[in-house]
Amino acid sequence: MAEETTGVEIKGLERYPLLNAFLGGWSIFKQSLLGKIGLILLIMFALMALCSYIPPMVDPMYNPMTGVDPDITDSTGPSLKHWLGTDFMGRDILSQLLAGARVAFMVGVSAAFMSIVLGTAIGMTAGYMGRFVDTLLMRLADMIMVMPTLLVVLILAAVFGQLNIWSIVLIIALFRWPGVSRIIRGQTLSLKQRPFIEAAKVAGASHFRIIFRHIMPNVLPLAFLFMTFRVTSAIIIEAALAFLGFGDPGTVSWGMMLQWVWKTGHMFKAPYWLLPPGICISLITLSFYMLGRAMDEVLDPRLRKEDQTD
Amino acid sequence: MALLEVEDLCIDYKTKSGYLKAVDGVSFTLEKGESLGFVGESGCGKTTIGLGLMGMLPPNGVVRKGRILFEGEDLLRMSAEEMRQVRWRKIAMIFQAAMNALNPVQRVGEQVAEAMLVHNPSLGKHKALKAVEELFELVGLQTDRIRDYPHQYSGGMKQRAIIAMALACRPALIIADEPTTALDVIVQDQILAEIRALQKEFNIGIIFISHDISIVADMCHDIGIMYAGQLVEYGPREDVFDSPAHPYTRALLSSFPTLTGKKTDLVPIAGETPDLVHPPKGCRFYDRCPEQIPLCREKVSQWVALSPRHKALCCRCEMDGR
Amino acid sequence: MMENRGNAIIEIQNVSKVYRSRGALFGLRAKDVVALRQVSLKIYKGEIFGLVGESGSGKTTVGRLIVGLEEITSGDIFLDQENVTGLKGKAMKAFRRKVQMIFQDPYQSLNPQRSVLDTVTEPLAIHRIGRSSDRKEMVHKALKAVGLSPPEIFFYRYPHRLSGGQRQRVAIARAMVLNPEFVIADEPTSMLDASISAQIFNILLKMRGTFDVTQMFITHSLAAARYLCDRVAVIYRGKVMEVGSGETIIHNPKHPYTQALIDALPKFRSSGAIQRYGTLLTEERQVDLEQVGCPFYPRCAVADETRCGRETPELILLDEGHYVACFQL
Repeated sequence: MAEETTGVEIKGLERYPLLNAFLGGWSIFKQSLLGKIGLILLIMFALMALCSYIPPMVDPMYNPMTGVDPDITDSTGPSLKHWLGTDFMGRDILSQLLAGARVAFMVGVSAAFMSIVLGTAIGMTAGYMGRFVDTLLMRLADMIMVMPTLLVVLILAAVFGQLNIWSIVLIIALFRWPGVSRIIRGQTLSLKQRPFIEAAKVAGASHFRIIFRHIMPNVLPLAFLFMTFRVTSAIIIEAALAFLGFGDPGTVSWGMMLQWVWKTGHMFKAPYWLLPPGICISLITLSFYMLGRAMDEVLDPRLRKEDQTD
Repeated sequence: MALLEVEDLCIDYKTKSGYLKAVDGVSFTLEKGESLGFVGESGCGKTTIGLGLMGMLPPNGVVRKGRILFEGEDLLRMSAEEMRQVRWRKIAMIFQAAMNALNPVQRVGEQVAEAMLVHNPSLGKHKALKAVEELFELVGLQTDRIRDYPHQYSGGMKQRAIIAMALACRPALIIADEPTTALDVIVQDQILAEIRALQKEFNIGIIFISHDISIVADMCHDIGIMYAGQLVEYGPREDVFDSPAHPYTRALLSSFPTLTGKKTDLVPIAGETPDLVHPPKGCRFYDRCPEQIPLCREKVSQWVALSPRHKALCCRCEMDGR
Repeated sequence: MMENRGNAIIEIQNVSKVYRSRGALFGLRAKDVVALRQVSLKIYKGEIFGLVGESGSGKTTVGRLIVGLEEITSGDIFLDQENVTGLKGKAMKAFRRKVQMIFQDPYQSLNPQRSVLDTVTEPLAIHRIGRSSDRKEMVHKALKAVGLSPPEIFFYRYPHRLSGGQRQRVAIARAMVLNPEFVIADEPTSMLDASISAQIFNILLKMRGTFDVTQMFITHSLAAARYLCDRVAVIYRGKVMEVGSGETIIHNPKHPYTQALIDALPKFRSSGAIQRYGTLLTEERQVDLEQVGCPFYPRCAVADETRCGRETPELILLDEGHYVACFQL
């Protein structure tokens, strides 16, 4: 009998598979320049979002929405009191910009998260159940996929009047799941054929168990990868809506700031007002995109394999 | 002059944790028309030897040292272009699962002809196709199948086509790496018989690489047993199989189920193969060896000649020999 | 059919499996593929039964039909004299507790995202056996039984950190942890080296010895079957050709196909002259067999052209426990 008494101790990390996997991924991630830049940018924006709570605490006039500097009645350039200047009502642009970061994160992450959850659930169901369930769900996905999201949101906004920020998030999520579900469905189809699924069946596992215990853990990394890309598109959609005047009027977002610049005719007169939100939108979408690309490398099975051989 | 003489061949693979010594100090000779078989388990370096001889190592593989004398010339000193001339013309290879190497959208006959034309452009397409016909007959394929596509062939037929391709330039040496692993036994038997017959007919030297001892025993005059990158026993097949000297050879033989002979219990080899990035100082089989003595752990094993042509890399054999 | 030797734990009667071609495409219709033709076998309690065949012979299909991974086209399967064909729901779950399977490729049959402990515990969780502390104890025992010891160090390992032999042992532990009555091992060593295969063989033998688990061992290697199995059935193109003890099949094969198979195997370390049966035709007969006739007829050197191509031979008893399906005896 071959007894293997190699006497290997349980290494600390082995007990914590998630942490272990994370560290393994991190070592690949570290090598990606794109990923590092993306991450640094993202940390910057996260700090901005956190700092957004500070200015209103210093003085109520720094409240991004309602705080007006009583001494100022028109847009002014940067000064000691207002580092990035003020808008047409005398509101502080810096505090608006910081608040915008918070909103961007909120909109981006929550819309992306919802669309991923929806897309993963639908994709797994379609792939695993097959037959008419698959056909039905995928036709629905096709239909939604070909609809131009922005246009539909505009129409909805026109019909229901002003939408608040959460309805916008919900609409983005509802329109952005089909792409995810297609990918997840494909992955599920290939997983379904794998012997470990058959082994689970032979052990007596229910469909529910197979989907959630065996298929889901294997598609989740892919789903999270897609989430980073979805964040990008959600932020852009929200900004576009706000700029076109269909945003939530009670929220200061970067798109909203751009709309105010444009509406009050400061487009070419106040670069200190126009540029910061514009640059921020570009950079935050870029940073999520770069993060996604780096994650893609982390999850690439070929790179993984190379990692295992040593 | 021997057809092939390999001296102290060392091949490393570059990995993240360091150089993996896939082949370490392997020496052997092969005479014209003879056959030599390498047997070993996965990861023992037998495939790497084949790739090294062909000059087809993967990008992270390097020949650290050694000489490969083919017809008296050192292959390792040749330029890429010279090597290309030798490859397929003089040394051909039949890969593991080579049948998947056929291009699915090109007729099999044309693929074989093309392989010929690449190395001999002056032949002309018409003559090449004529030669393919002969080759097909040689390997036992019906000539009316020349114009078929690979998917119309069975596994055995594809393998025959690959052998035809290897024979196209009448090489002096063929390296066959698990040429029948994916085939069923009846087809395997036919292919092996074919290879044997062709070897005899054209006096080809064959290096046969397999994990299946019984096939190698059937095919080869000389046998090399490999373990963890090293050749551990080398000699004529009768000597190696009838009086195996290295404990690994003995262990391998007793773990192998045979069809004939006495039915004894199979004895597995305990443990796992050593890490080849940091190989053990002494004998590489030490950890798993049932006959280990403390000396084996420290002392680098030396070759011990058991008979003029039979030798083993083992401290114990050395002591017993004295 | 076959005489009653003790109790048959698994009996399959006239089982056929046809893979219907998918719907017609552009009016072209692919032929249905007949994977199994009227296969009948009895597997007795406590034995290891070998099913030997080439690729495409339908040997794996037999195993998959028994465990219910595929639907049977016609015929019946009995477990302990009870018909278990096409079970559903609760009855199926109860059946699965008794019948388990070990798969061919240990690199594919373990979920890469689940640790050894998760994998081996799962069957217990599914069938609600024991509390979680008891389950850990049972997993411990199962891992120990398959030679993964000390088991604790393997609990939190993931498949990618295990060698092929270790993975297959985890797969065996998963199958054995439920204490099944019958286990099907589908070429469990075809992806493993010889020395590792021997470990797996010994574990399977031990399972039979200590836990009295009846097994069906599906393999392409007669040599492996010889070491492991009490009785062996040779299957070719969906039809059982010969059944007998391992030694009988190897040393006294009666069916021309079995003889051709023995001819083809390399005679390693054999003593004495090798006699060949020579039952294989060099040129195949060009016939369309469809559903009748002996499947080996196109390649059989001793076939009777008037009969073998037109009638299907059934298994007949030759000696004690030795059945052959051939007209030319």
